[in-house]
This record gives sequence, C-alpha cells and structure tokens, in this order.
Amino acid sequence: MPNVKTTGKKSSNTLVRDLVNVGIFAALYIVLAFLSSSVGYIPALIVFSTGSIALVTSIPLFLFFSKIERSILCCLIFCGFFGTAMFVMGQGILMLSISLLVGLLAGVALKVFGKGFAGLFSANIILCLMSSSMMLPLWTSTEEYLEYTRTMCDAGYVAKLAELSQSPWPLVAIYAFGILGAVVGGFIARRVMKKHFERIGLAK
Amino acid sequence: MKLDPRTKLFLAIVANSVILSAPPVYSVLMFAVPAILLLFEKKWKFVLAFFSLYLAAVLGFEHLKTMDVGRVGTLAVSTMMIVSRMMPITIVLYYVMQTTKANEFMAGMSRMHVPNKVTIPLTVMIRFFPTVFDESRAIGNAMKMRGIRLFSLHTLKNPLTILEYRLIPLLVSITKIGDELSVAASTRALAPDTRRTCIVPIGFHVQDAVVFVYCIAVIAFVVVSHI
Repeated sequence: MPNVKTTGKKSSNTLVRDLVNVGIFAALYIVLAFLSSSVGYIPALIVFSTGSIALVTSIPLFLFFSKIERSILCCLIFCGFFGTAMFVMGQGILMLSISLLVGLLAGVALKVFGKGFAGLFSANIILCLMSSSMMLPLWTSTEEYLEYTRTMCDAGYVAKLAELSQSPWPLVAIYAFGILGAVVGGFIARRVMKKHFERIGLAK
Repeated sequence: MKLDPRTKLFLAIVANSVILSAPPVYSVLMFAVPAILLLFEKKWKFVLAFFSLYLAAVLGFEHLKTMDVGRVGTLAVSTMMIVSRMMPITIVLYYVMQTTKANEFMAGMSRMHVPNKVTIPLTVMIRFFPTVFDESRAIGNAMKMRGIRLFSLHTLKNPLTILEYRLIPLLVSITKIGDELSVAASTRALAPDTRRTCIVPIGFHVQDAVVFVYCIAVIAFVVVSHI
C-alpha cells in the first residue's frame, strides 16, 4: 500500500509486546545464566564458566534481539534487571552499573548495525561482558568478595578463589573465554535461527 | 492475613540483605516472618518440609564440618552448607511469589510511582520463572519418551545436541506464550502511558506496620552487633 501515510511513531501495542518480551527473555536469561554458571563450582573450571554462560545464552539472545523494536530501551531494561538481580543476590553496585552500561552499548550496536547478523552478533558479544563481569569484584574488592563467597562455599573453593585473585591474568582469561563463548555461540545461534526460528516464522 | 505488595517487596529486600550478609541467627529471625505468614495461607505442608530440610542441612553441616569425610563427603558438606544458606531466601521468595497476584503487584508499583515501562517487564519476569521451569519439565518428559535424556551416552558424545533438543523447543514455547500474553495485555488496556485501576484494595494495615517495625528492628540488631 504505497499511499498509506503514517505518523512515523511506533504503536504503543508494539511497545507492550517489546516490554513483555523483555520480561520473558530476562527470566529465561537469568535461569540459563545461573544454570550454566554452575560449571564454575568445580574449582578447575572457574575461568571457563563465563564462556559456558555466553555459549548457552547466545541462542535466546539472538531471538530476543530479533524480536524487539526499541533496541536501546529494551536492552537497557533487560540488563538493568540482570544487574538488579545480581545486586539483590549480594553483588555490589559495580555489577549494576556495568550491566546498565552494557545494556546501553548493546542497544546502540543493534540500532547502528540493524537486525542483520552483524547487529545481533555484535550485541551478543557486548552483552557477554555483563555475565563475564560477575567475578570482577574478586579483583576490585577481594576481601569482601571472598567473605561473601565464604558464606556459601567450602574453604577449598575460597582458597582457590584467593589464589586466582593474586594475578590479573585469570581475569583476562575470564573475559577472553566469555567473548570466545559469545563468538562461537553467535555462529551456532545463526545456524539455529535459520534452521528453526526463521522457518516457523518466529524470527525474520 | 494479607500484606500490601509494597510491604512484601520491602520484606524480600531486607530478608535477602540480612540473610546474605549477617550471621545465620539473623536468617532465622528473617525467614520466621514468611514461614508464619505461609501458615496463615494454609501452606503448612510446605513450611513443615522446609523446616525439616533446613534443620537436617544445618545439623548435618554443624556435625560434619570438623570431621575428615573424604572427597564425596566434602561435596555433601558443601551441599548442606549451600542449602542451609540459600533456603531462607527461597522461602521468602516463595511467599512473595505465591501470594502476590500480578494486578496487585502492578497496583503497588504504580502507587510507588514506578514507570510502567519498568513495571510491565518486571511483572512478566516474576510471573514467568515458574512457567520456564514448568515448560522445561514438560519438554524434558516429552524428550524422555523419545529416549533423549540429559545425561545419556548420546548427549555426552555430542553435548550441543542438548541445546537443540531442550533449549529450542523451550524458546519456541515461551515465545508463543509471550505473543499470547502481549495480545491479552493489549485487550486489558495494559499500556505504558495509561494508569490502570485495580479491583483489589491496596493499602497499609496493622499487619504491614508490624512487619515494617520487625524488619527495621532486625536491621537495627544487625547494625548494633557489627558495631
């Protein structure tokens, strides 16, 4: 219909749909992030836990990004919820601030690169920095984080964490594995989107 | 005995903070509140099961923590410690989620002048946690009928197939639920820029005041004990 004139504004119905999608995918993301981070309860696999989170959550994130219309608002609220959940679970205000910043950047990336593979892939990589920052307080406020972990984990695990906090390289490895997980997860998610979601009309 | 949604939110935040940061004795003081309130809601079976498991975990941990129990024993002791630390949070969240309806929660948030753009996804998220687990369980059962299990030789050989067999059906299912939810929300005039009315009366009563005073008293005890 070429002669139809629109106001250029997005309908409030699509806003409600976006907000409902944010709620649904935030619930799923939090559940998947907690389940996949349980790999990190094995002391030898602590640094790999961020990679497993990024790998597992890539597919839901690709679907989420492809379904939302207001990318900046939705990503900001989505990451704000995750940061708040972490804050309530005892992580500091730093995690909440990083989550909001990551949400803003992911939203901007989606806005700039669009809903093609480049946009979804870059937003996914930016968003993996949020889950990778979950252990950042181990280096920024070591004593408080170890005290917090001591209330939930055994002495051997806390000793392993204390050993890791001595050097900055495990932190670099945590972020590197997180990004690697997001890259690999992104390629898997692309294949899954084509094979499943686009075929049944859930994503374009 | 009904509490205002704002009181429940306050209780959940205070309980989480106290349980995660203060010694276990304060955890008992905090989770006693939702336990008593759940008894008023006639959830005595849940409360009984909770206390049995909690006592078993606490007593088991206190008894075994100084003993040399080997590797498997260490795993059991760690599990007991995690259970004893995390269960109080579980009962608080269970009480809040079981007794707060979506419309009451939205009305409470609206009274606190929280924008609808935050309230709508937050309400959906809170109500969606049980749905995610229910759907996942149903998909798991369906996959078992096809002989696909989480820990089987087939999935151990190729772990990525589990994403395809479990995660993708879950995503399809919850996306469809989400689309239906959006349509239902639109028909009920749920929009970010409209103020909705609520048929359930929301307000503070004596029981809310008692819970507020109790929570503040526990916080005061924690602060004084730290000094």
